[in-house]
Amino acid sequence: MSYAWDFNFLWALGPLLLGGLINTGKLWAIAFSSGLAIGLAFGIMRTVPSRILRGIGMVYVEAIRNTPGLILLIWFYYALPILVGVQSSAWLAACVALSLYTGAYSAEIYRAGIASVEAGQWEAARAIGLSYAHQMRYIVLPQAVMRMIPAFGNRAIELAKATTLASTLAFGELLFTAKVIAEDQFRPLETFTAVSVIFTAVLLPLSYACIWLERRVARSGGIVRD
Amino acid sequence: MPYDWNFTIVLRYLPQLLEGGLHTIILSAAAIALAAPIGVVMGVIRQQRVPILAPIAVAYIDFFRTSVALVLICWCYFALPVLIGVTLSTFTAVTIAIGLQASAYLAELVRAGLQSISVGQWEAARALGMGTRLRLQYIILPQAARRMIPVFFLLVIEVFKTSTLAGFVTYPEIVYEAYRVATDIYRPIETFTIVGAICFVFLFSLGRIALYLERRYAVVER
Repeated sequence: MSYAWDFNFLWALGPLLLGGLINTGKLWAIAFSSGLAIGLAFGIMRTVPSRILRGIGMVYVEAIRNTPGLILLIWFYYALPILVGVQSSAWLAACVALSLYTGAYSAEIYRAGIASVEAGQWEAARAIGLSYAHQMRYIVLPQAVMRMIPAFGNRAIELAKATTLASTLAFGELLFTAKVIAEDQFRPLETFTAVSVIFTAVLLPLSYACIWLERRVARSGGIVRD
Repeated sequence: MPYDWNFTIVLRYLPQLLEGGLHTIILSAAAIALAAPIGVVMGVIRQQRVPILAPIAVAYIDFFRTSVALVLICWCYFALPVLIGVTLSTFTAVTIAIGLQASAYLAELVRAGLQSISVGQWEAARALGMGTRLRLQYIILPQAARRMIPVFFLLVIEVFKTSTLAGFVTYPEIVYEAYRVATDIYRPIETFTIVGAICFVFLFSLGRIALYLERRYAVVER
């Protein structure tokens, strides 16, 4: 049996799909930027001398990383009104959950990056009288960040994939929009194929860029002079 | 307004949740069983640069590596039956989706594992007069497998996490059962807290095993 493919209806519904894609983009941008910020805080926390702070950082990272993203999303959807007393929405729950999700994974990237800076750098910075915060801010982080970039790129890709989880809360991102269209038009094959192609078309070049960056950083030994 | 937490009522539904968990495990096992042979073959083809087949393997790996699990699940469940004219059970559809994606990750893992074996091993095997197949089978793969075990465990953990998406197409895994329980007793937060805890304990233990294996099989060139 051959199936008569017909993508024409999708062109007509293009604006709808585009709207979904924009929502995906928004969710991605917010979760990624706040995830990087949260990750920085917890990543540094995991490297400080204080045992208590390290413990808190570890609990956060382990708790988030060992829980499936979907469960986090649903949990925050129901728990937000109780925890902070705000009216919950799929958008808010997705933003909070995905930010914390990305935060935990990027905390590990920061930690590994910071750990990769050799002890001599810390010692030299201390020898010239810099405080711990200044050692971190001016000596260690700038050197570490370059090595982290490829890993952050991979995180960005994983987060883009994770935004589709928000469709389970009926947030109108790309996949949810596609599901609505597929049901409305009785054409799941074309619709889901299109969504799949869109994701790969965006993420594949990004993935290659990450691989390229990784090689570059590896070649330069993580040291970049300008 | 303080919320009145009530976990005891959820605990009464624990068997139902655990049954969902069992389904998640079965689903993950099936997906890995599908992924393992495809992944190893694709990885070897790519690393060995087999003519004609290698570009196909690259396209396959790249496509599934950058696809979104939930989109693949929807595609296999809603779209694939239209294409092949056969109705698929949710279990089959989700196993195909997760299995194919995992096979792409596994192929990359196999490739990296093969690549990590020093050239000297290849050359030594060739010097003994072994063909490509023999070299792979007796010299390279056994060494590479040892290095791949810890990372393979991490892949298994990812597969478990991905399996929780199967509820989206009504496969009765743990999240799906949790939704049913939550609507039965109007206690979504407690239900999902407990489900989250179950998943955490399970995945955390798996993670520790992976760490142990990593230490145990840490590569020492002798």
